[in-house]
Amino acid sequence: MIDRLEREEPRCGAFPLAAVREEKGHLHIAAVNDLARGAGIQAGARLADARALLPALRIVLHDPEADERLKQWIVEWCDRYSPLAAHDGADGIVLDITGCVHLFEGEAALLETLETQLREMKFHVRGAIADTAAAAWALARFSKRVIVTREELPGALDPLPVRALRIHVEIATELGRVGLTTIGHMRRIPRDALATRYGPGVLLRLDQALGLAEEAITPYRAPAPYRTGQVFAEPIGTTAAVEHTLLGLLTALCVRLEKEHRGARRFDLGCHRVDGSTAWLQVRTSRPGRSVTHLMRLFSEKMSTLDAGFGIEIMTLNAADVEGAAPVQMSLPHCGDGIGKDTLLTELLDRIGLRLGFEHVCRFQIRESLLPEFSTEFVPVSSASTPNAHWPEPRVRPVRFLDPPVPIEIAEIIPGKWPVRIRVERQLHWIVRAEGPERLTPEWWRDQPLRWATRDYYRIESEQGVRLWIFREIRRTESGERWFLHGHLP
Amino acid sequence: MQQRFSRTVSVSKEIDAGLPGRGLPLGCIHEIQNPGLASGIAFASLLAGRTPPFGGQLIYVASDRSFHPLGLLRYGVQPEQWIHVSARSSQDLAWTVLEALRCPQVSAVLAVVQSADLTLCRRFQLAAESSGVTGFLLTDSAAKPAIASVITRWHISPIPAPPGTTFSEACWDINLAYCRGGRPGHWSTVWRNGQLEVLEPSSETVESQWSQRVRFLPADRLAG
Repeated sequence: MIDRLEREEPRCGAFPLAAVREEKGHLHIAAVNDLARGAGIQAGARLADARALLPALRIVLHDPEADERLKQWIVEWCDRYSPLAAHDGADGIVLDITGCVHLFEGEAALLETLETQLREMKFHVRGAIADTAAAAWALARFSKRVIVTREELPGALDPLPVRALRIHVEIATELGRVGLTTIGHMRRIPRDALATRYGPGVLLRLDQALGLAEEAITPYRAPAPYRTGQVFAEPIGTTAAVEHTLLGLLTALCVRLEKEHRGARRFDLGCHRVDGSTAWLQVRTSRPGRSVTHLMRLFSEKMSTLDAGFGIEIMTLNAADVEGAAPVQMSLPHCGDGIGKDTLLTELLDRIGLRLGFEHVCRFQIRESLLPEFSTEFVPVSSASTPNAHWPEPRVRPVRFLDPPVPIEIAEIIPGKWPVRIRVERQLHWIVRAEGPERLTPEWWRDQPLRWATRDYYRIESEQGVRLWIFREIRRTESGERWFLHGHLP
Repeated sequence: MQQRFSRTVSVSKEIDAGLPGRGLPLGCIHEIQNPGLASGIAFASLLAGRTPPFGGQLIYVASDRSFHPLGLLRYGVQPEQWIHVSARSSQDLAWTVLEALRCPQVSAVLAVVQSADLTLCRRFQLAAESSGVTGFLLTDSAAKPAIASVITRWHISPIPAPPGTTFSEACWDINLAYCRGGRPGHWSTVWRNGQLEVLEPSSETVESQWSQRVRFLPADRLAG
């Protein structure tokens, strides 16, 4: 408060100054400047008492809102030290600097830079670094030590007054009455006794300070959820009305996504019915999307499944899996149709994925593996694509691949070579030509190389011209050969 | 007809001669029958791979996942070009094919279908004409036409390879059973060096080869 005034009017520092607020019909001191504090005036005292102590005291009215605005500005400014900056009470700011220290050559340097910069901006500031937010709070206010490691923490906290635990003033006074004035005293008392007399809150605060209990820091800027909604004066029940509202909600959400250069992969429409039940419609897209027309089309395909029941009174729309998406270059109305290179294709895949499930809409991922099971992989189009490996050379491979391979029955075989007569799926084939073997050994770096034996692949042609890709498993035990059909060649 | 199918791709020199517009018309529906499907997929892929633009997006719709894109490298199609859609029910499959045919950013659609009635065929055809996407309907059945109405209908069957052919060279008997505005025909071909070469011996010779083989089959083989 006083800092704010002194920043606005530097001459304020030249005379004792106090900010006053009205409380229970009296004027109380809310904050004082250095000169007034030097004269023995404390925040919280009555103005009349302060005037008696220091008749020259000048007063201004306390303006909490202006203070709050300034503090918000400081918190945002602190963002440069850590993304996790939060308000801590009326006069404090807490930063989670985990992982940020290395940017400032150590904790001491960080704290010093932060304090210096704030002082240059004419703020009175005291900082401390500790392993827990509660301990840092206590140290900044009640201790001269500023940086305390985990091992030193109990020792550093022990001499501090119990008020440093952020407990209620009345409890602190009561504790003082029984002789428990410092944190060290409290730590020596059996925990049960503390809890029964003063409530579990005291223990929680103690544990938080010592790092035995979790304490969450709520960042000052919780990202606003991508969510809109509409409440109806009269419940709606027709598809047209739902679609009309949805269009409005989608437009609002997509305008925001567009502005933030983002797109979402999932949109949930909640239709809250009059009877308290909720119907959900969900659409997913293969890429982060924000096109209202496309999303409307996806939703309208789901619209038939929506049961309005006795009527819908609230509709909400959530966007999830929000990701960055570069803004689309919109072409001018006269030049072309304004459709991106593969916008239509993406929208097609979205529609198919929505109806059949995205796991059924796949691209192929080529791997550098000669083992046919590993050489290609079906990758859903909705997942991020990685470049294909280069397939060494166009070897002869089947166009239809059987996974798992189908056992074949050998009716006749040239020993040590390929079979002459085989039966596959109850059909007999006379083999007139064969090529091979192409020996493929299991790759030792795979999970279970022993699951596969070495294989000798043959390409065979029946006398009708049907070409098959078969292999023989070579087991060390040699307990009979096993042959499998692994694919159909053109 | 010339106006309607102005865009074509070449199948091979000899086969193009009988086709309307001297090539396989694009933006319409073709049926390819092949028992076992492997040769049919390869034949459809080589045609789909030739549809402009080069390297365009191809959509393969089937009920299973037996499709293996590495086998089609030799037929001029890269694995990146494929998008594989596995549809459980025939309704989903037909819907997917329709949607894909309507998308002008797709080059061609290959679909393994069991059957398609006249209404569905008309819808496929209209969708293909509106967007310019070419559709290849692959059927496993060789017996009766399961697809009611198409622009061309091909029967592909593998034939015994002539001497000196390797397994990278597929040998097919291509039977153009129906061709709207064109002449049906019958060719024995071999896929060699990225071209479909028509083998010199006429179809009669192949037939006689066949009958010969059948005649010399020993009794135990037939009993097999």
